[in-house]
Amino acid sequence: MRIVACTEGSFGKIEPFSLEMITAARMAGAAGDEVVAFFAGQDPEPAVTSLGAADRLVAASAGNTQLIAAESYARLLADTVAAEEPGLVLVPYSANGLDVAGDLAARTGWPLVSYVNEISRDGDWLAVVAQVYGGKILAECSVPLPAILMVNPGAFAEAERRAVDPSKLQHSDATPVVAEGKVRLVGVEVPNYDGVDLTTAERIVCVGRGIGDEASIDIARGLADILGAEIAGSRPVVDSGWLPKVRQVGKSGQKVKPKLYLALGVSGAPEHLEGMSKSDLIIAVNTDPKAPIFNVAHFGATCDLFDLVANLSERLQTGR
Amino acid sequence: MKILVVLRMIPDSAGELELTGDGRGIDREWLDFQLNDFDDHALEEAILLKEAAGATVVAVAIGEGSNRVLQMAVARGADEAIALEAEADGMIDSRAIAGSIVALARSKAADLVLCGVQSTEDLFGQLVPYAGARLGWPHVSGSSRLSIEASALRVTQERGGGIAATYEIALPAVIGVQTASKAPRYVSGSKLREASKTAMGKAASEPAGFERSAEIVALRLPGQRGTGENLGDNPENVADRLASILAAKGFAGV
Ligand SMILES: Cc1cc2nc3c(=O)[nH]c(=O)nc-3n(C[C@H](O)[C@H](O)[C@H](O)COP(=O)(O)OP(=O)(O)OC[C@H]3O[C@@H](n4cnc5c(N)ncnc54)[C@H](O)[C@@H]3O)c2cc1C
Ligand SMILES: Nc1ncnc2c1ncn2[C@@H]1O[C@H](COP(=O)(O)O)[C@@H](O)[C@H]1O
Repeated sequence: MRIVACTEGSFGKIEPFSLEMITAARMAGAAGDEVVAFFAGQDPEPAVTSLGAADRLVAASAGNTQLIAAESYARLLADTVAAEEPGLVLVPYSANGLDVAGDLAARTGWPLVSYVNEISRDGDWLAVVAQVYGGKILAECSVPLPAILMVNPGAFAEAERRAVDPSKLQHSDATPVVAEGKVRLVGVEVPNYDGVDLTTAERIVCVGRGIGDEASIDIARGLADILGAEIAGSRPVVDSGWLPKVRQVGKSGQKVKPKLYLALGVSGAPEHLEGMSKSDLIIAVNTDPKAPIFNVAHFGATCDLFDLVANLSERLQTGR
Repeated sequence: MKILVVLRMIPDSAGELELTGDGRGIDREWLDFQLNDFDDHALEEAILLKEAAGATVVAVAIGEGSNRVLQMAVARGADEAIALEAEADGMIDSRAIAGSIVALARSKAADLVLCGVQSTEDLFGQLVPYAGARLGWPHVSGSSRLSIEASALRVTQERGGGIAATYEIALPAVIGVQTASKAPRYVSGSKLREASKTAMGKAASEPAGFERSAEIVALRLPGQRGTGENLGDNPENVADRLASILAAKGFAGV
């Protein structure tokens, strides 16, 4: 069987989950299967220098677009799928993947399972484990081939980073496909960090929706100050405008790896864990003992976060 | 302009989820159902577009408690409310409901379909690409800002790392809203009461139009993966333990 592993990169870098897709493809494959990495973007160079763990690389590049629209990516992938006739296509669960996986499924009629964490082969079928309900429930599914899986970043280890052998590279110019698209890129915004860079912070106190309202952020900020930590938020907290976007941790925010990550009232949805689960020391406070954040926490407490913050702030200040 | 906005009622995942006897579903008897968060943002974005550019907003709700949510949608500014027939006691499978949404988009002559970018029940894929591909309309997921400029739609899409890309799309289109341009508004009780007088339409479900899908063999609760230590639920004890853990690891002083 042939397996197409979708990869992504922009601004001169390959997304690390691209290497994870190659590992996932090897897990799904049997001996003799071929893993073809697929890349579409502005600049194929980072893919060419990184994705050698795949058996081949099919790369389409359109020099005139900084961030290729998912529409064009999906179109190029559909062409590759038509040409390669794979039994399985792995798409990363990313902003791009959210459009690409379902688009391909609708056009091919193939089954699609999203939020996948584990894959194994069972003859002509795949046994996969996927997350539903924000990671609170795992679904074991049996999937007939050919199929498409949308795979969670962080679920598989990165394959070894090495250059693609020139004889294994098939490169094409995607400019005409991008030009035909109905979705036209008109601008790219890069965040203004204003001195806030969570990715280099050693200590982070992160508040989730459990904090309740904007005024209460100050309570958490007080503890962060005592700890010398940066304050951060989950997506709903940032969406509510209680903290600026540069302080969002997770899939569409920053990926952080501090020495200390204290999560207050954060449920630990997969999209949040993607941004912080590799932190050295994770402490979580959440009144729900089944909150998925406890699956990655080194220390967890199920008390009310306000009671905890009040008590802990006092102890740290008085040294008692 | 006609905007169709899709509102899915899903189990509150902050609550207790228990499995059914056969292990293939979750026990729905005592569950709280609430509007999918992202769909709430989609509704808000629809109303904001209506206010900014003029539009008719048709709200379609599916699942337990649809009527309550449709009332809320009307109170917030939707012009028409439709309850879409749902399969009883199951997940709202976006792959399965895509056919109905496509049929409604066509019968209502919608120019724009707005849905939340995903739901926690999207095990078999997301509504936006399914509906977009089936309609043959462009689709963009993960929007954080929408506006109409000279009859084209501008969509700002979040990529990772805080990077945002803005695209221009000719309508018709399907958009998966992540965050509305402004936080969803509250509605007063009096507006809700007034909205309760609006007649709610009904739509029968249409065939999905997909041949094969995967099969759920079993659902299970994730085992505690980490080797994490549970410090309990007494805030004073927890604070004592944390203060010493933090001190031992050198975090207590700045
Ligand atoms: C494409 C995409 C990208 C995303 N990107 C991100 C991202 O970058 N970052 C991100 O965080 N999310 C992201 N999400 C959203 C993610 O799916 C979750 O919705 C989000 O992480 C939930 O945030 P939360 O944990 O703060 O809120 P909730 O899930 O609502 O959890 C709040 C928690 O607080 C607890 N709680 C309530 N009151 C108290 C109290 N008094 N004391 C203690 N605990 C309390 C509750 O038990 C609950 O577990 C993304 C989603 C999508 C689809
Ligand atoms: N993103 C896409 N991926 C794959 N095929 C596509 C895509 N968009 C359009 N097509 C197909 O290309 C052909 C022409 O599409 P259109 O230009 O939209 O009429 C049709 O067969 C479409 O199904």
